[in-house]
Amino acid sequence: MPGLLHRFLALDRRWIFLLVLLSVAGPIIFPVGLPVTVTESTQKSFDYIEALKPGDIVWLSFDYGPSSAPENDPMAEAFLRQCLLKKVRVVVTALYPLGGLGLANQCLARITAEYPDAKYGVDYINLGYKDGATAVMRRLGDDISAAFPTDVSGRPLSEFPIMRGLKSIRDVKLVFTAATGLIGEYWITQVHSQIGTPVIIGPTAVSAPKYYAFINSGQLVGMLGGMKGAAEYELLLSRGHPELASLYRSTKGFTATKGMDGQTVLHGFILLFIVLGNIAFFQERAKKARA
Amino acid sequence: MNFDLGRVTLVALFAIVPIVGIALGMRAPALRSKIPVLVAFFAGLIPIVSLYIPKDFMSGDSGMSPRLDQWLIIVAAFALLLGITNVLSVNNRKINRREPGWPYAVVLLTGLLVTGGLGIYGAISKQGIGLLPDGSSTPFNWITVYVFQSLQSTIFALLAFFMASAAVRAFRARNTEATILLIAGGIVMAGRVPLLEFLAAPFPPLQPSAAAASQGLGKATEWIMNIPNGAAQSGIIIGAALGGASMAIRVILGIERGYLGLGKGD
Repeated sequence: MPGLLHRFLALDRRWIFLLVLLSVAGPIIFPVGLPVTVTESTQKSFDYIEALKPGDIVWLSFDYGPSSAPENDPMAEAFLRQCLLKKVRVVVTALYPLGGLGLANQCLARITAEYPDAKYGVDYINLGYKDGATAVMRRLGDDISAAFPTDVSGRPLSEFPIMRGLKSIRDVKLVFTAATGLIGEYWITQVHSQIGTPVIIGPTAVSAPKYYAFINSGQLVGMLGGMKGAAEYELLLSRGHPELASLYRSTKGFTATKGMDGQTVLHGFILLFIVLGNIAFFQERAKKARA
Repeated sequence: MNFDLGRVTLVALFAIVPIVGIALGMRAPALRSKIPVLVAFFAGLIPIVSLYIPKDFMSGDSGMSPRLDQWLIIVAAFALLLGITNVLSVNNRKINRREPGWPYAVVLLTGLLVTGGLGIYGAISKQGIGLLPDGSSTPFNWITVYVFQSLQSTIFALLAFFMASAAVRAFRARNTEATILLIAGGIVMAGRVPLLEFLAAPFPPLQPSAAAASQGLGKATEWIMNIPNGAAQSGIIIGAALGGASMAIRVILGIERGYLGLGKGD
């Protein structure tokens, strides 16, 4: 047994790479449908958006790039679906320079195609990308049109009914940021703390630990932590809006729920590797001590 | 014509003073560092003072502080331009000198010029950089979707492989700290996913116990994230904020001048 263990640990790492590939890709191609339990911060986020009234305006910011899209895309999609379903109007921006706008365009195209009644400029609008995240946020607190004079296609904001009566970000009911890196934190420090607009964040799993401090201090309404948070949100959305349940159950397209299957299998393998590695480590140490 | 005190003051501080500074700096090199410090002093002071003086010329819609924020957006865009200039210069030098890896620099510059060129073309031709009215991609959007996004996703996805490999070889309970980290990490890794349900799936009688144990692990994970992690994160965030504030004060008062990029004796 000890010999076998050491042989396993001396395995060419390309075998481990193959195992990782199979454990992630397998469950995504053939979904297992593992259960998802909902955490408090996701539940709070969902409840807050559910309580919004038709006609309310919310802000959705795409503050991530393709590297974290499998985690952040499902959050943004679920949020957008919930808003359009509830007739809550959405203002979309992108503050992440490395591909945020491209992902925003694609997400809007995908989700608004599911809601043919939703009209551009009335029910939602895409203001595009602007560089200088904190400076843009500070400007949004005074005058949206100073930070974004036109929409993404260059048309003045005054042309759009959704922007009438919407002077600053104080006038929106909520900011939802699907974020990687620091931009999510800026929404809390620049917009919530200084202007007072409630913020919900959807960070990547690797950034999520930081935001527990903001949840504990009451500076965040809630958080969708990584792919798990997105999967929890998809579950809540399916329960709260049965018309979406079939969409999330379908085998077409990528969802966080499917991603969680892959993540579960991979976590299992990594934990197994860690346990085996430590058993071998202690055996080695005991052998040295005996010698 | 109304006299706009805020605008006049800003123009005086951030246009006339720097121009005078450049002119004086040409004659007296010792003055070169003085004017930027003066500009930084006012740029740092105005947003702070505007919080305490709720007057239109300071914090009104077109007051000094909001105008400075507007300028900051423009300056941030210039920072991108500076970055592009730097990339061009560094990689051009690499190619000219045939330094190791120079073919990669050719790929980088080609990517930069082609993508940037198509973006500028999109802006000039008014077709934009997203989708065309008929739903087809602009050339810039095509590159974004089929080249940039795929490459960036691929590079990031490689992390999973290296993390798994590193976990096998390096994550050991070598001492007390590493053991605490290992246990906490193990609980969080198992508690964030329905691992026990997955393992119990082939054994139906075990499933209720697995679900209950999984819930317990989930609660332990949330406790770790909320209490020890939350407390540590608060400490880090407050510490970093205090550090940032003290650095800002040093910059405003001209004590910290590293950002000027001056050499010794300048």
